[in-house]
Amino acid sequence: MNKVWILVKREYRAAVKTKGFIISLVLLPIMMGGGLAAVLIFEDKVDLTDRTVLVIDESESVGRFLVNASKDRNANSITDSIGEKIFPAYYFDLVQKEGDFNAQKLALSDRVRNKDIHAFVHIGPDVLNPGTDRGKARIIYFAENAPMDPVKGWISGNANSFIRQERVKQLGIDQADVQNLFTWIDAEGMGLVSVDSKTGDVKDARKSSELESILVPYIMMMLIFMMIMMSAIPLLSAVMEEKSDRIAEVLLGSVTPTQFMLGKVLGGLAVSLTIAGIYILGAVFTVNKMDLGHMIPYDILPWFFVYLILAVVMFGTFMAALGSSCNDSKDAQNIQFPAMIPIIIPMFLLMPVLQNPLSNFSMWISLFPPFTPMLMLVRQATPVTIPIWQPIAGLIGVLLFTAIVVWAGGRMFRSCIIMVGKRPKFGTMMKYIIKG
Amino acid sequence: MNIIELEGITKTYGNHKAVDDLTLRVPKGSIYGFIGPNGSGKTTTIRMIMNILYPDSGNIKLLGKESLGSTLENVGYLPEERGLYKKMKVKDLIKFHGELKMVKDLDSKADTWLRKFDLSKWADKKVEALSKGMSQKVQFIITVIDEPEIIILDEPFSGLDPVNAEIIKEVILKLRDNGSTIIFSTHDMSVAEKMCDYIFMIYQGKKVLDGTLSSIQEKFGHDTIRIQAEDGVRAVEGIPGIEKVNDFGQVMEIRMAPGTDSQDILNTIMSKTRVSKFELTAPSLNDIFIRIARPENNEDHVPSM
Repeated sequence: MNKVWILVKREYRAAVKTKGFIISLVLLPIMMGGGLAAVLIFEDKVDLTDRTVLVIDESESVGRFLVNASKDRNANSITDSIGEKIFPAYYFDLVQKEGDFNAQKLALSDRVRNKDIHAFVHIGPDVLNPGTDRGKARIIYFAENAPMDPVKGWISGNANSFIRQERVKQLGIDQADVQNLFTWIDAEGMGLVSVDSKTGDVKDARKSSELESILVPYIMMMLIFMMIMMSAIPLLSAVMEEKSDRIAEVLLGSVTPTQFMLGKVLGGLAVSLTIAGIYILGAVFTVNKMDLGHMIPYDILPWFFVYLILAVVMFGTFMAALGSSCNDSKDAQNIQFPAMIPIIIPMFLLMPVLQNPLSNFSMWISLFPPFTPMLMLVRQATPVTIPIWQPIAGLIGVLLFTAIVVWAGGRMFRSCIIMVGKRPKFGTMMKYIIKG
Repeated sequence: MNIIELEGITKTYGNHKAVDDLTLRVPKGSIYGFIGPNGSGKTTTIRMIMNILYPDSGNIKLLGKESLGSTLENVGYLPEERGLYKKMKVKDLIKFHGELKMVKDLDSKADTWLRKFDLSKWADKKVEALSKGMSQKVQFIITVIDEPEIIILDEPFSGLDPVNAEIIKEVILKLRDNGSTIIFSTHDMSVAEKMCDYIFMIYQGKKVLDGTLSSIQEKFGHDTIRIQAEDGVRAVEGIPGIEKVNDFGQVMEIRMAPGTDSQDILNTIMSKTRVSKFELTAPSLNDIFIRIARPENNEDHVPSM
């Protein structure tokens, strides 16, 4: 065991002292929050080019409303408090529908292509009172990138607001009642009511936001995923390199293959615990400073570390054993992606599990040992209460599975680490595991 | 007392028998040379002694105990190919390996060895900055830093210049004098002849020679004539009873066919030219090696062991 400890120390120092470690320590949160940061950074970078939109209005009212609304918008809503333009102006103009409507649409489309105008809209004749012929009650927006175009949304909002008011007018309802008619009331998400263990009083339920119920499990899972990616996956190429550089053979003059493998895996584990520790402490400190301390699931943190340790040992051993079967980087590249599949699959299962953490699917999939560290943690981090036997059963499953992986990986590692020549086939590897 | 005992060990790779029913006993305090052509089974045998490879059958005992190899602290092993962590500093690397071998007073021992091999000023440099010869010296230090009872060296002299080879030779002899048993494999027959108490030759997985140099030479008899003659190789051409001539330029080595009288050969040569040196001798280890390992060799030349 002492020799394993010496190997772990070397691995740890070799990993932590590199520039790569410091860089990845900084880069990891940026990558994790990268999408969010990009949205925040580029949110204000609005294209200020003015948009001219032509309206073919068969309803003879909606189009006129849009023209007026756009003038109103240009006058009041496109500059900030100091008068600087922050949104593009919309110029809406009416055009008559022509006899050959298809030819007209084609001509207008060409004008859009030539950047002469931004878009054109066709408003059907029956939009105010759609009858059975729904084809006459459509608003169709023609543009280069119509689905993502913010002008389309502006048209929809304003046209419908106008149409609704017109319909209310037709019904003869008092204007004062109209306000109530359109007041929308959302159902608010709330956690379950519980008893305070100190005072014995019934505690108020905590309001659980959608953001919180997605963000917390997501961060937990991403952290475990990234730790596996940073410390377990590289063991494949690290072991392959030490084998092909003959470092393995030199070390095997002083240590057993099992000690060698454990040294590498536990060294990787020490690195990932360091990184995870730094992030968790950093996150707790920052979130508390931001007065969002209630979002930290302190009760989940011990589970997080237990699952992290088991996941890194399980996948690390698996990767080290596979690395020992490779002779060069080409072998390692060929095997790396298939070997990563069990780590990637939980990422794809995140959404269905998040949406329904109590479903049978979520339960069974999170009890499958290779997925347990990530998916059980996701379920535990959601606001719902999952039966306590499930994380315990999951933990026992992962413990047993990890023990099997370490046992089998050790046997394979012992057989392969000194072997040269062609990489052993799957059947041969199984033989090594069974026969030792 | 035998410190290493191999009893009928066999190792097969697929259909190829790398080592075939090998029995070997290495006495304590001796230098045992392993010779044999490339691919004959030397490294496989060494790896089995180190317990890195497991024999398919047979027993290996080190220090009287079975199959402990790398788990023993007092066994030092220098593999054929060098493998060092390139990003580590030289002294840190030596200390890391020393720690694995449970060496006490590591810091001063590392300094002493670095000094001995003229590497002190490289102590804080990374291994990747070292030349091939220097790396080899570092690897040798790692192998012997704990002055183990058994030292196994696979090609310790390959790639070394004469000065460094001399330093390593001296250290090996010193370690032997201090009680270590040394096994080393080599392709340099003159080194094996001069340094080894015992020589073991493996060929196609089988033991073909084992014993002291004189006992090996005894088996081949005094069938070699070392001769220096004025006309060189022309003087010995066409003489009956000469099986093979090895011309070194100044001196020729002649192998006589069995039953040939050396005096007859001398008379015939002297009738043709002047002879300045004539010596009847046992074959050199190099000659014995070539006789066994030449592709055209026939079984008659391979003594049974």
